[in-house]
Amino acid sequence: MNHARVIDIVKENKDVFTLSFDFSIVAKPGQFLMVWVPGGKEIPMSLSHITSPPSITFRVFGETTKFLSGLRKGDRMYFRGPYGNSYPEPSGRIAYIAGGTGLASVYSMLSKYIGDVFVGARTKDDLFLLKKGFKIATDDGSAGFKGTVIDLFVPHVDDYDYVFVCGPEPMAKSLLDKIDRKTKTKIYFSLERLMKCGVGICDSCSVNGIRICKDGTIFSIEEVLKMNEFGVFKRSESGKIEFFAKNKR
Amino acid sequence: MASITTSVGSFSLENPVILASGILDETSGSILRSLRSGAGAVVTKSIGISERKGYSTPVISEVGTGLLNAVGLSNPGIDNFVEEYKSFPEKKKTIVSIFGGNVEEFVTLAGRIEEIGFDKVELNLSCPHVKGVGSEVGQDLDMVEEIVSEIKNRTKLQVWAKLTPNVTDLIALAKASEKADAYTLINTLRATGVEIYSRKFVLSNTIGGYSGPGIKPVALRAVYDVYKETGKSIVGVGGITTWQDAIEFFLLGARAIQIGTALLYEDYSVYSKVNQGIKKYLDDEGFSKLEDIIGAMVAR
Repeated sequence: MNHARVIDIVKENKDVFTLSFDFSIVAKPGQFLMVWVPGGKEIPMSLSHITSPPSITFRVFGETTKFLSGLRKGDRMYFRGPYGNSYPEPSGRIAYIAGGTGLASVYSMLSKYIGDVFVGARTKDDLFLLKKGFKIATDDGSAGFKGTVIDLFVPHVDDYDYVFVCGPEPMAKSLLDKIDRKTKTKIYFSLERLMKCGVGICDSCSVNGIRICKDGTIFSIEEVLKMNEFGVFKRSESGKIEFFAKNKR
Repeated sequence: MASITTSVGSFSLENPVILASGILDETSGSILRSLRSGAGAVVTKSIGISERKGYSTPVISEVGTGLLNAVGLSNPGIDNFVEEYKSFPEKKKTIVSIFGGNVEEFVTLAGRIEEIGFDKVELNLSCPHVKGVGSEVGQDLDMVEEIVSEIKNRTKLQVWAKLTPNVTDLIALAKASEKADAYTLINTLRATGVEIYSRKFVLSNTIGGYSGPGIKPVALRAVYDVYKETGKSIVGVGGITTWQDAIEFFLLGARAIQIGTALLYEDYSVYSKVNQGIKKYLDDEGFSKLEDIIGAMVAR
């Protein structure tokens, strides 16, 4: 278990925070940490910056993230990792597609590889880390395109050589369903599942025998298309199969 | 090349390397991946009567000599297990691990898995960190004896009894479960771990099980003691990462071995690596088959 001092914590919007910490981390873009609250839980979190100082960007959705959002400069934070593979090195024209806090993961690529960023959120109040030129989609149309980020992006797929996608599984599934699979564009997904161990042994995050935490989290579209469980069902903490709601984006 | 086929009770295996219960064996997709990567057989994660979420994270913590875990017997419960596995294609190479709090629960679970076509169970009499089941049941000699005999009487299943090393008298435990077709030795050692800067325990449950390279000598001792005393089929497990580790277990009486924590250090290629190493050792040492070295160091 590593521990580091918090350098800064920035409130990005109503419930998203970026926490930077003092640690000389050796990480690749797209990797994640298992962040631990002593006496509480341990959860996977994408690194939003891998250069010094490293940072994580997260939405407050439970006790653990609430605790982390309350840390102050100089407090200790605890983590294992970095874990997982990384985004491949792109060339040519690049697009990033991010839904929700998926933007944290693709952010780790942005400082090195400039590209067009397509961001999806429920409303304008859910947006964060925006930069000039980002293409925005909101469910309610309160900012940018009214609809899903996938619908915003899909007509433009052939404009790009590399596309990196990070967001909720139904969003990624929607891209798979809507894209012309003959496209020459190289598409990579950072996938997210319930993770307990983060190191490839507990089987909580496996999809068709592929461990999201260790074989991924980043997979090519060809690899994702082979996972017939993907976008169809996930696993609860007990390992029980839970189907995704149909017709949900 | 030397033959590495083996048998445990009446179960014939193409090779002696089995995936241990609890590691990468919750989902049917992962079990198939292990079998396709060269495992001789796979033991499932332990299944109980009801769905259990298991403990909060952290459920694992790496230590220099292995791994601490307290996953907490998370499992979908027997109904959901049956639903997922009723048409599973590799039932004969899959041993279903079951746990319960009393004889009736074990018997019910055994019956349900036999109904859908499995023919082998491993009794988890040894999980060290969940109250009322596992090693708490597994230290009650009368209950162990009854669980094993009832399953043998009421089903045709082959029964492997996975025993806890956390007892003073392992031989008494082995004798209590002597109607089993084989013993699986050993489960994890009851253990804990500390994080010194937060001054908190590293596992949410405080107590967990210790596995990995550090427990191998304890597992070897257990295999040696029980083989010497009983001569029965033994499946050795505890800290096996390399083929050399596996050979040590065979020499002391194990007829097959299980690996688990090794998958933290190695990829799925570990099965073929261990099997290749065993073959080469047998060839180099002039043995024609694995059988020739099983128990070779134990005078009985």
